[in-house]
Amino acid sequence: MLIADEFFLIAHNDIRGKAKLHPAATGLGLAAGLLGELILYGHITVTSAQVTVIDRRPPADALAHTVLDQLIGEAQHQAVRTWLSFLAQTAVTSVGERLARAGVLRRQESRRLLRTTVNYLPTDLNVAAWPATRLRAVLERNEPPSVPDALLLGLVAAAGLTREVLWSAGPRAHHRLNLIVPALPAPLKELVAHTEAAVGAAVLRGAL
Amino acid sequence: MSSTATTDRPSNVSEALARGRLGVPSVIFFVLSAATPLTVVAGVVTTGYGVVGVLGIPLAFVVVAAVLTLFATGYVAMARRMANAGAFYSYVSRGLGRPAGVGTAWAALVAYNGLQVGLYGTIGAAATPVLNRLFGIEPLWWIVALAAWALVAVLGLLRVDINGMVLAALLCAEIAIILVFDLGQLGNPAGGSVSFAAFSPENFFVPGVGAVLVLAILGFVGFEASVVFSEESKDPKRTVPMATYLSVAIIGVVYALSSWSMTVAVGPDRIAEEAGTQSVDLIFNLAGAHLGDTVLAIGQVLFLTSVLAAMIAFHNTTARYAFALGRERVLPAVFGRTSPTSGAPRAASLAQSALGLLVIVLYAVNGWDPVLQLFFWLGTSGGFGVLLLIATTAISIIAYFARSGEQETLWRRLIAPGIAAIALIAIIVLAVQNFADLLGVEPDSPLRWAFPAAFPVVALLGVLWGLVLRSSRPDTYARIGLGAESAAAVVPPASLTEPAPLTTEVR
Repeated sequence: MLIADEFFLIAHNDIRGKAKLHPAATGLGLAAGLLGELILYGHITVTSAQVTVIDRRPPADALAHTVLDQLIGEAQHQAVRTWLSFLAQTAVTSVGERLARAGVLRRQESRRLLRTTVNYLPTDLNVAAWPATRLRAVLERNEPPSVPDALLLGLVAAAGLTREVLWSAGPRAHHRLNLIVPALPAPLKELVAHTEAAVGAAVLRGAL
Repeated sequence: MSSTATTDRPSNVSEALARGRLGVPSVIFFVLSAATPLTVVAGVVTTGYGVVGVLGIPLAFVVVAAVLTLFATGYVAMARRMANAGAFYSYVSRGLGRPAGVGTAWAALVAYNGLQVGLYGTIGAAATPVLNRLFGIEPLWWIVALAAWALVAVLGLLRVDINGMVLAALLCAEIAIILVFDLGQLGNPAGGSVSFAAFSPENFFVPGVGAVLVLAILGFVGFEASVVFSEESKDPKRTVPMATYLSVAIIGVVYALSSWSMTVAVGPDRIAEEAGTQSVDLIFNLAGAHLGDTVLAIGQVLFLTSVLAAMIAFHNTTARYAFALGRERVLPAVFGRTSPTSGAPRAASLAQSALGLLVIVLYAVNGWDPVLQLFFWLGTSGGFGVLLLIATTAISIIAYFARSGEQETLWRRLIAPGIAAIALIAIIVLAVQNFADLLGVEPDSPLRWAFPAAFPVVALLGVLWGLVLRSSRPDTYARIGLGAESAAAVVPPASLTEPAPLTTEVR
């Protein structure tokens, strides 16, 4: 499963699809997930807080393709923080739709008062609960995590969801988590750091 | 960034991010609703007349507004270049060095906590008339304070910031009722003629002038928050400065007018005595006599909501300060964590609430006077602390521009902050001399030294902690002053602590 998809499932309740994380951090975490996917597949890189496109060939995934097109089309914007803010605005919908297309989630519209709200309900509890379960297991194991898992763990920590994932884990897992982000490849390490900073800035502005 | 796009093509990114950007009015509303004018006019000004006994409070508001406008000139110019623009200690870190920044941060935590906790002393006085009208009860002050404390603690954790529209409506209502009160007072001058004695310099330059200047500073606390919105404003170079100047001007005019009209209605010669006996009730007794019971009732309800809003605002300010310091690891990292669902800085909020509870219980058990000894003492001491912060920041602004060589006009980088710094230091000297007047204690009371000395002592401890960090935790030291941005500021090359290596296969 892709990074942003797993982040989405971790950030939402695995039965009723309710958000476990406040909207600003959810959006930023998902946005970072989308950029992270493009970094992992070698389409873009992040250095000195700037996003650079290094491979313009279209990615297999439709959403990744869209994001890459946006990055290419608006090359005047390079700051990671700009892209995180921009992608965060629509990330819940775009990633939610991607998971719905994959059959993992089911889109549900509900009308309350005058507003229509869209929810994404898991179709299979086990599938929805799997990413968090797997991350816990990764941290309990002795061998180092894969890069995508390490990135996902970094983003979960940056968004403030650590406790949701590690609620039952021991101090060893917490300790290992602290070592994982510094060991990430430089572009991903930067991405995680900027996500954490953007989430913190949103808290300070009270703009959640 | 967006406005300097090199292409003429419309940019989706720029447009999407521009949506919801704040203009001047939004920022002013935010600043003023945290300033909660009715709390200052009904609570601080009346108690100030009674305790300090100096007639020149209106002139003090004008003087402080002028000094803060000069200060703001350099402040907003430096704010644009800052990562953590909302907090004074960031400016000090950049201008005078990181140890001084930590000292400032600690002093700021003490000052803002003093302002917040002090408000629990006045909530009883604010709520009693309203509860009496509604239910015919007059509960003990600390029961009301505990109820308010519980409300603030819960709202702080849930981070249910009161809706912006509600705050704006409350603010407009507060300012409207203040102006109605003022008109009522000016329409009923004591002795039949309107006296301008309160604006006369000879009633200002008297022993106690330092005390009223601190009171005036206290009324402006909150203006510094405007710069938080640099990134979200429509035009950072114009919106934030304009909003800051206008906020200071509006606060100055409303407070000067209201404190003056009180002297007109009561009589300049009798204001100190009347305020001394009636305390917070003074303005409401006047309104009841001039304008009738309905206006009075509205005023009393708005005073209650105003004090509650002020408590919540200062609670959040204090908690965010601790949060920023936790993000930097200057305070334990736990302060930098948030509650996932609400995004509230949980530990920071809990710590602030715990302190508030402790103080309420302490005062209730000892039977100390809530309005004078809790609200006025902690409030004015907090105001004095903020005065020290502003003065230190003014010096830091000059030092920053001198050292960094950033392009800025001579007026903004040296002259305006320079005049402000000199004036602020003069106010500090006067305030320290007059601290007994400010507290309303005997000149030989140990309290007159204990309160002002608390800030330099705490700041010194902070400086020492900063020096400890420099030698023991250089990576933390490097982050000082960056607040939430500290996460992105230091992306060290490969860690030295033998991290677990990663396998690189992509699933």
